[in-house]
Amino acid sequence: MIPSSGPHIRSGTRFVGRSVPRREDRGPLTGGSRYIADVKLAGMLEVVFVRSTEAHARIVSVDTSEARAVDGVEAVFTATDLAEVESFPDHIDSIGPVRQRPLATDRVRYVGSPYAAVVATDRYVAEDAAALVAAGTEYEPLPTVADIQQALAPGAPKLYDDWDDNRSVDIAYPRPEADRAFAEADHTFTATYVSQRQTGLPIETRGVVSDIDGGTLTVWTSTQSPHMVRTTIALMLGVPEPQVRVIHPVIGGGFGVKTHIYPEDIVVPWITRRLGRPARWIEDRMESLLASVHARDQRHDVEVAYDGDGTIRAVRCTSTLDLGSGEIFYPGTAPVFATNSCITGAYDLSKVQTRAVAVVTNKTPSGAYRGFGIPESTLVIERVIDRVARLTGTDRAELRRRLLLRPGQTPYVMHAGGRIDSGSHAESFEQALELAAPALKRVRARHAHDPDVRVGVGYANYVEPTSPSYFRTTGHWGGGDAATVRVDPDGSVRVAVGLSAFGQGAETTAAQLAADALGVSPSEVTVVLGDTERAPYGLGSWGSRGAMMLTGSVMLASERLTAKARAIAAHMLEAAESDIVLADGAFHVAGSSQPSISWAQVATAAWIRKVDLPDGMEEGLETSGYYHPEHLEHQPDDTGRFNSAASWSNGAHIGIVSVRLSTGEVSIEDYIVVHDCGTVINPALVEGQIHGGVAQGIAGAMYEHLQYDSDTAYPRFASFMDYLVPTCAEVPRLSVDHRESPAPDQPLGVKGCGEGGTIGPPAVVLGAVSDALSEWGVELTECPVTPVAVRAALRAAGAARGRAEGNP
Amino acid sequence: MTILEPVSEVDVEVTVNGRSHRHRVAARLLLSDYIRDTVGLTGTHLGCEHGYCGACTVIVDGDAVRSCLMLTVQADGAEIRTVEDLAPEGASSLSPMQQSFHDNHALQCGFCTAGILMTLESVDPTDWSEPERIIELLSGNLCRCTGYQNIVAAVAQAWNSEGDV
Repeated sequence: MIPSSGPHIRSGTRFVGRSVPRREDRGPLTGGSRYIADVKLAGMLEVVFVRSTEAHARIVSVDTSEARAVDGVEAVFTATDLAEVESFPDHIDSIGPVRQRPLATDRVRYVGSPYAAVVATDRYVAEDAAALVAAGTEYEPLPTVADIQQALAPGAPKLYDDWDDNRSVDIAYPRPEADRAFAEADHTFTATYVSQRQTGLPIETRGVVSDIDGGTLTVWTSTQSPHMVRTTIALMLGVPEPQVRVIHPVIGGGFGVKTHIYPEDIVVPWITRRLGRPARWIEDRMESLLASVHARDQRHDVEVAYDGDGTIRAVRCTSTLDLGSGEIFYPGTAPVFATNSCITGAYDLSKVQTRAVAVVTNKTPSGAYRGFGIPESTLVIERVIDRVARLTGTDRAELRRRLLLRPGQTPYVMHAGGRIDSGSHAESFEQALELAAPALKRVRARHAHDPDVRVGVGYANYVEPTSPSYFRTTGHWGGGDAATVRVDPDGSVRVAVGLSAFGQGAETTAAQLAADALGVSPSEVTVVLGDTERAPYGLGSWGSRGAMMLTGSVMLASERLTAKARAIAAHMLEAAESDIVLADGAFHVAGSSQPSISWAQVATAAWIRKVDLPDGMEEGLETSGYYHPEHLEHQPDDTGRFNSAASWSNGAHIGIVSVRLSTGEVSIEDYIVVHDCGTVINPALVEGQIHGGVAQGIAGAMYEHLQYDSDTAYPRFASFMDYLVPTCAEVPRLSVDHRESPAPDQPLGVKGCGEGGTIGPPAVVLGAVSDALSEWGVELTECPVTPVAVRAALRAAGAARGRAEGNP
Repeated sequence: MTILEPVSEVDVEVTVNGRSHRHRVAARLLLSDYIRDTVGLTGTHLGCEHGYCGACTVIVDGDAVRSCLMLTVQADGAEIRTVEDLAPEGASSLSPMQQSFHDNHALQCGFCTAGILMTLESVDPTDWSEPERIIELLSGNLCRCTGYQNIVAAVAQAWNSEGDV
């Protein structure tokens, strides 16, 4: 049972800091929520996309005649039909232009690329017809590029003929001090670390439903960013933006996958306009694995200069991201910049020289996934520290203590310009170590007498950049967000925000914030979001920005609203405005026993009793606020450096694993999280984010891997049988503790917490398993840590023989 | 020109949440699509249609069934229960298990929740109330949001406070 209140309550607030029960629960619990697949309209047609079965090919011809002849098929469209539609924009000069078409024209660059759309009265019929289109497609195969190494090989086949090579971006962050440190250091080593290809994989796949009524095109889509979808649809279809309305229904998880704007977001509304009928497309699971963005898939080539006492003098790191085909909007390049800028994580390491590269390959486009480059960077720095500790005989925890940012060091500017505003980096680690000590003792005792089992401990300290700017990747969309607050004549509060919601509890959170700002109860607050017609322009929810943006924008709008309400109340109470106080949902004259004026009375005056308003005051009781965080920057300086995150949460993870030598099986026996996301608005929701985040991190550390055939770039996955999402049997029980280092520049000190949990586990598991196998010198460098990988590492270390006797 | 085989149709009669339904349906119609599109109960969700994720779990004649792996025609004559049948007075109230999920923050996006609730509903709690057994029982239902910890806690709390139910 989650406590309804905790240590997070602070004076001046009544609901912020409490685990206010979620208002989002009843629908899913009773079957009443409307997700995208539940949006049904009279006369609605079903759309099925036909997708490339080739990894790289010219499309010679597409014969749609047989499909058109199927009873129930209304239309089959190919790229030719969409010639008038604009391409997805390539806004940023420094990213290789892909000129992505909504349907592939004469060339496909990954298995799953959509090149035709079948429209029928029935989904089953549409799928029958889609199979006929697929059978009627003639390809001319082209040579493929299946991974980073192939993409960068001299003479590699190019995906884009007008590019010099397959590099989409390649930006260096030179630092001469690092070169000098390398010359002076006692020792150096090189290493390569790999974060495998994964995908965010919400259990609800994507979907789009569209309708047209008069001039207005209404599009329901499972997006995390409805306003951005609207802007893009208007741009690409050439429709005035006010004539496009985008709504996200209840969303069954996003995790970054649904931040992108996909071809289907354009093609389905285009079909509705073309045919004048409602249309719907619901992604199936196999399609989702091929057509929704992948993520991670980075390789890091690292050089480290260190001294015999464990001092790390300097680090050089080239991070290379496998973008897949690159055909996704916004571009998938951004995570490698996040990795690059956070490569030193929570540690004070200034002599760092990096390079960020993204290459295109014949795979599904990669893009956003919870953690967004930071699980990768954290993996790198934690492996580096462990290696230095081993090479110098230094205690691993002690070496981290020496390096962690300490109180008083913030704001701390990292090598690529990231400005860590505050945090509890050293303290969180100490707290986690204290929690871990008895657990480690227990686990060691549990396995002390089993010669086939070894126990290890792994560490991750990380920073979590929150509320980032999109501008550098999209060429649009900075980093602020809006709220509109209104009090209706009956006194009810309506808060409309530009954010979206897909399970985090944003509605509950917004109601808590508005309740405190207006002195009412959350139950009196109606929250509106996810609808471009009803909510102000905002960027949606991603990048752990929801809590921070909600706080800033709702408080700003509420302050403006309260100021006007106070003036009305003063007039009605015939008192000076400065004497009016707002308490318990009503306006009082300070120190007077005079009856108070309720929000309903103020709102009634404002909307429908002009006679009660002060002379000259405008009617209405609705205000907006657009919050933009201080210190958030959108463009690099002339050295390529800038602070692209508004605030920086942090945390420490410690995992204790047991490894069975004979099978390579790894069990996480205990997992400790100390998390600091600044001021906590709703402790239960924050804890939920951490639980889910860590589970996804463990998924990446041990299970999930989207594998491609290296000769053909053909995917080796088609269902959950090939992509191992952890069940409750795989996710360990977590011990979670919180710290609160408020964001210094944010109204309530809120930072954001959506991604932190996901960041630590890959580094923790690699470190812990390597520790468990340290007697053989095993140093794992790659996720996922599967039993096969563990056995291979043991064999490589010469530990395989005699295993059956429990004596490697 | 390829000629597709005509789709054969069959008559089915099923009881869903206590109400009987008779329909002529395509023989290939999945039970999940029948429940969602023909009967119109959309609380049952489709996460994979491969029988793996468990989101579409309903109860057919007392057994938990992945409705995406069953044809409607196979359910002819059966009694089916879905998530819409769990709250004692419809959507205005909650069952003890639903309430415990709410109290323990055991759902986030809620897409998998119906399948989990129906899996739980299909068993006798006396056999399953220990945490290890709950984990075993729910290991066929994927949840991407919660990390499962609060789900297991919610189930344990609901079943332990129900006493000898």
